[in-house]
Amino acid sequence: MTVAEKKHRVIEPDSLIGKRIPKMDAPDKASGRTRYIHDINLPGQLHGRILRSARIHALIKSIDTSAARALPGVHVVITAADIPDQRPIGVAKDHFPLKVGRVRSERDEIAAVAAESEEIAEAALKLIKVEYEDLPVIGNPEDSIKPGAVLIHPEPHGADGSHLHLKQGTSIAHRGKADNVAMRFDYSHGDVVQAEAESDVVIEDSFKLHYVTHCCMGVSGMIAEFDSAGNVLMYSNTQVPFLHKREFAEYLNIDPARIRIIQPPIGGGFGSKLDIYPFEVICLFLARAAKRPVKMLFTREEEFLASPTRQPVLLTLRSGCKKDGTLTFRQVHTLHDNGAYTSWGATTPFVMMQTFSSLYRVPNCDYHTAAVYTNNPYAGSFRGYGNLQATFAIEQHMDMLAEAIGMDPLEFRMKNAQDAGEVTGQGMSFKSCGFKDCIKSAASRSDFSRKFAENHANQKKPGNIKRGIGMASMLHVGGGAKIYPSDGCGTILKMDDFANVTLITGASEIGQGSETVLSQLVCEELGLPISAVTVVNNDTAITPWDVGVHASRTTFIAGNSAIGAAKKAKSKILAVAAKKFDCTEADLDLRGGFVIRADSGEALVELSKLLRNLHFQDKAELVMTTFYYEPPSVHQDKGFKGDVSAAYAWGNQVVEVEVDTDTGFIKLLKVTGAHDVGRVLNRLGIEGQIEGGVVMGQGYAFTEDLMIEDGKMKNPNFRDYKLVTAPEIPEMDIAFIESMDGEGPQGAKGVGEAPAICMAAAAANAIANATGVRLFELPFTPEKVYRALHGQTPKRYWKPWKAE
Amino acid sequence: MTELKRYLAPTSLDQAVECLKGGNVTILAGGTDLTPQSQAGRIKFKQTLMNIRHIPQLTGITLEGKEIRIGALATITEIMEHPLVRQHLPVLVEACDHFASDQIRNAGTIGGNICNASPAGDTLIPLLVLDACVELASMPEAKLYRHCMPISTFFTGPGKTRKSLCELVTGVRIPVPGAGHVSRFYKHGTRPALDISTISIGLAADIHDGVMKNVRVAFGAVAPTPLRATATESALEGRHLDAATIEAAAIAARDEVNPIDDVRATAWYRKEMIHNMTKRLLENVSA
Ligand SMILES: Cc1cc2nc3c(=O)[nH]c(=O)nc-3n(C[C@H](O)[C@H](O)[C@H](O)COP(=O)(O)OP(=O)(O)OC[C@H]3O[C@@H](n4cnc5c(N)ncnc54)[C@H](O)[C@@H]3O)c2cc1C
Repeated sequence: MTVAEKKHRVIEPDSLIGKRIPKMDAPDKASGRTRYIHDINLPGQLHGRILRSARIHALIKSIDTSAARALPGVHVVITAADIPDQRPIGVAKDHFPLKVGRVRSERDEIAAVAAESEEIAEAALKLIKVEYEDLPVIGNPEDSIKPGAVLIHPEPHGADGSHLHLKQGTSIAHRGKADNVAMRFDYSHGDVVQAEAESDVVIEDSFKLHYVTHCCMGVSGMIAEFDSAGNVLMYSNTQVPFLHKREFAEYLNIDPARIRIIQPPIGGGFGSKLDIYPFEVICLFLARAAKRPVKMLFTREEEFLASPTRQPVLLTLRSGCKKDGTLTFRQVHTLHDNGAYTSWGATTPFVMMQTFSSLYRVPNCDYHTAAVYTNNPYAGSFRGYGNLQATFAIEQHMDMLAEAIGMDPLEFRMKNAQDAGEVTGQGMSFKSCGFKDCIKSAASRSDFSRKFAENHANQKKPGNIKRGIGMASMLHVGGGAKIYPSDGCGTILKMDDFANVTLITGASEIGQGSETVLSQLVCEELGLPISAVTVVNNDTAITPWDVGVHASRTTFIAGNSAIGAAKKAKSKILAVAAKKFDCTEADLDLRGGFVIRADSGEALVELSKLLRNLHFQDKAELVMTTFYYEPPSVHQDKGFKGDVSAAYAWGNQVVEVEVDTDTGFIKLLKVTGAHDVGRVLNRLGIEGQIEGGVVMGQGYAFTEDLMIEDGKMKNPNFRDYKLVTAPEIPEMDIAFIESMDGEGPQGAKGVGEAPAICMAAAAANAIANATGVRLFELPFTPEKVYRALHGQTPKRYWKPWKAE
Repeated sequence: MTELKRYLAPTSLDQAVECLKGGNVTILAGGTDLTPQSQAGRIKFKQTLMNIRHIPQLTGITLEGKEIRIGALATITEIMEHPLVRQHLPVLVEACDHFASDQIRNAGTIGGNICNASPAGDTLIPLLVLDACVELASMPEAKLYRHCMPISTFFTGPGKTRKSLCELVTGVRIPVPGAGHVSRFYKHGTRPALDISTISIGLAADIHDGVMKNVRVAFGAVAPTPLRATATESALEGRHLDAATIEAAAIAARDEVNPIDDVRATAWYRKEMIHNMTKRLLENVSA
């Protein structure tokens, strides 16, 4: 190459957006090199184990730990009595990590041991003697609200009936609760009574949603260590390190500044790591007492028993419309099984009421939830956050209303679907909205209308194999959710002398591919290849604040934050370059690792060289920037109204099934989906996200069922708790609707939870299309389906009940 | 923590049965039942753990006269792929094909499946309808003693058999079916792989001129043991497979089983499936 040619090197425009980019952590995960918490061992580390209740609901009369303490190799044995300063945990502050005086569920923590090996710790647990006095068990939420039901959280009394002189406090754990209602939510807009009077058709049905759990492939665990100055280092799988840092400090009665949380790669989250659980606090207590690092890992059985679940919901929905297909009103009452304690997941009605009030245009909506205490496992947050349950009911009613007025279900949905520009009764403002495009796309690609009519006509024909097609739509937050005082995320970005970028972000990687997407967004601004980026995202001592991985918010919020930091770096670089080349910043751009002329693409200088020049001079400088992004969303008011998210995600999924009426077996043939994701950033990543979500929704609809009978879990194992296996996964045809959200990073919106939401509802509609039989209860296991097809499922009616 | 004191890996049948004399031995074959069961605390290891995987007399699949002998150590995969089995015993191949997953099939043995004596054991149903015999070896005195027991009398309850603690299962013997033999297997699980049978059905018969003879029907997971269905057999024996016979047999099948409710299904559903799927199997044979 001659000097003259080199001078005119032109760099063609290129973009990383929409490309298929492998996840940065994939090679290590695929080759078994990733070090999960399970692989981390600290010198001098002890192993912690927890003794859980042998009863479902009982008073603890006595605990004798003397034999366990005497076992060689045991360092520490603790019960509530050993931790006089225990503070209650959970959003409602309704339980102590180590239970005081009473157990309320099968998982309840009574004592804990730290020993030199897991085997010794386990043996020590067996030596702990506990005397109980059984109490009546409340195994379902309907019993919990009956007058005179035993209280799950009565005012605490000692074994002899005397008042326990617990530290004064206002929490439920200290004071008790005079009824079993853990939380209630009441929302309304418009006038449902008037609307009902004006409706041509009104239907009412009860729906029952079951228990499922996350089944993270990596079981829960943590390691806690105190240094000699009393500072705490935690290796934790949390999804919300910064909020938890504050909370852990409270439980340890220390300054939050003394707590540092490092997050090793996480083997699955899906919402399960949004709360602080007793085991984490207990692990800290053990480490504090032992003055040694303590590691605690769940067994798989424990993971089932002591992890959160999705909310089981009993729901009665009343809906109306006019003959012309206009929706008139919805009235919803739900009863949530909170379990024995309250987690963040009890706030799923925040999301559920959005679906009822705003997925379609509903002029009048009335919504009531009571989450009530029982002796069951306590439900937590789970991908979709109440939306699977709400959508299950609402989307079945969409089909049923359409049928009642003789309208095609597709046309009925299109008639009531939201458009961009709508501000809903609940105050949500839809700036970008590809909802109608989603419905149209999924329907036309699956040939919905033709198949729907054909299957319907085949229902009564002979033969045991019936085909069905059904659809469901969804609305979910896609631009964060303003629940905490801030919904923001911080970024620190530094560039080295070789034009490599270190992206330090508050956003946790939880398997969703955030590292890759954030790197992509940064590289798009700085004209660099993905390989130029190192992401640091797992240490509270280093990374800037972030509210946590939840609400499908990371790409949107952390993405905007990363772009903000990259833009600052870019303008600093261009300012230096403009000076050097005697032009304006607007004349220049960054591309392919060079500073280029914006109009011609002519490469002017290698970016790395420019950065070195900047660094190694008299007025030495480095390129380091920070940015904090706070979305323009607002908090809801007391009536749950307000535009809580900066953007909203939409979707529609069409499910095709084959039902064997002799067995109740359902073969899931195909899922055709269309999702308004704003814009596709990493095509490979988003396809994985959608496919994984569809399979999770499939499990919820068909196979997964955590069986709880009177508080006792019947199937805490993968033999009897049935995750979907590879051969059951259907063909998928997924399309993306790019509505280019004005606030989203490069136009993108959140999609993490969206793909799991529609499956159960669409499946129910497909089964009804195939057989003419409607199923109001999940999951659609062969026996449940067979029973319903053979008239063995009495229709459930749950009389709406509202907490006083 | 276990009581385990000793680990043995004998290399001959004599050594193995000699060790079994005292009876205080846990036998390990593929370990796919033993491992999860001991970890869950459902069984306790005895003093000695004896790995039988190095005993040549327990291996192989061979034709011996009019019988096919399958060594106790034959894995589910080996059985499924063996030409003799594929040619003569397709019903056993069918059962193996619905058995667990590749990993488990590569480790799990037929001897283990038999001795675990689960009412839902998948090879047991075809073995029952094929009139298989279980080969047993022991050393009552100083000499190796071997005998056979019809598999239809082998099982006494869940996890329980007529085999004594001093006996080892060395294999199974299956008469080679003759001309006109038909057989079918059906496993009802909720997914294609890795599922325990909710119910299973085996059927074998010799059909000559449309008439069924030597009918064998067996059901899994509907009783404490895998079961020969004698009433169903009588409803079919000597008959043509017409619609009335099929329906009568399906009803007989439903009426003769007495299953329980468990996490996999209710008794009612199991009875329904016995009826519907017996009918479907028979229709498939008659088609
Ligand atoms: C994930 C999973 C899925 C499974 N799916 C199925 C399924 O679909 N269908 C099914 O039928 N089973 C299934 N099983 C059970 C198991 O795999 C089978 O029963 C298998 O055949 C057991 O064989 P093994 O060689 O592993 O037995 P082991 O575990 O080694 O032994 C089982 C029992 O038999 C005894 N034993 C073994 N061999 C002999 C012998 N020769 N003489 C005397 N006693 C002996 C042992 O002492 C032990 O009590 C599954 C197991 C797992 C873990």
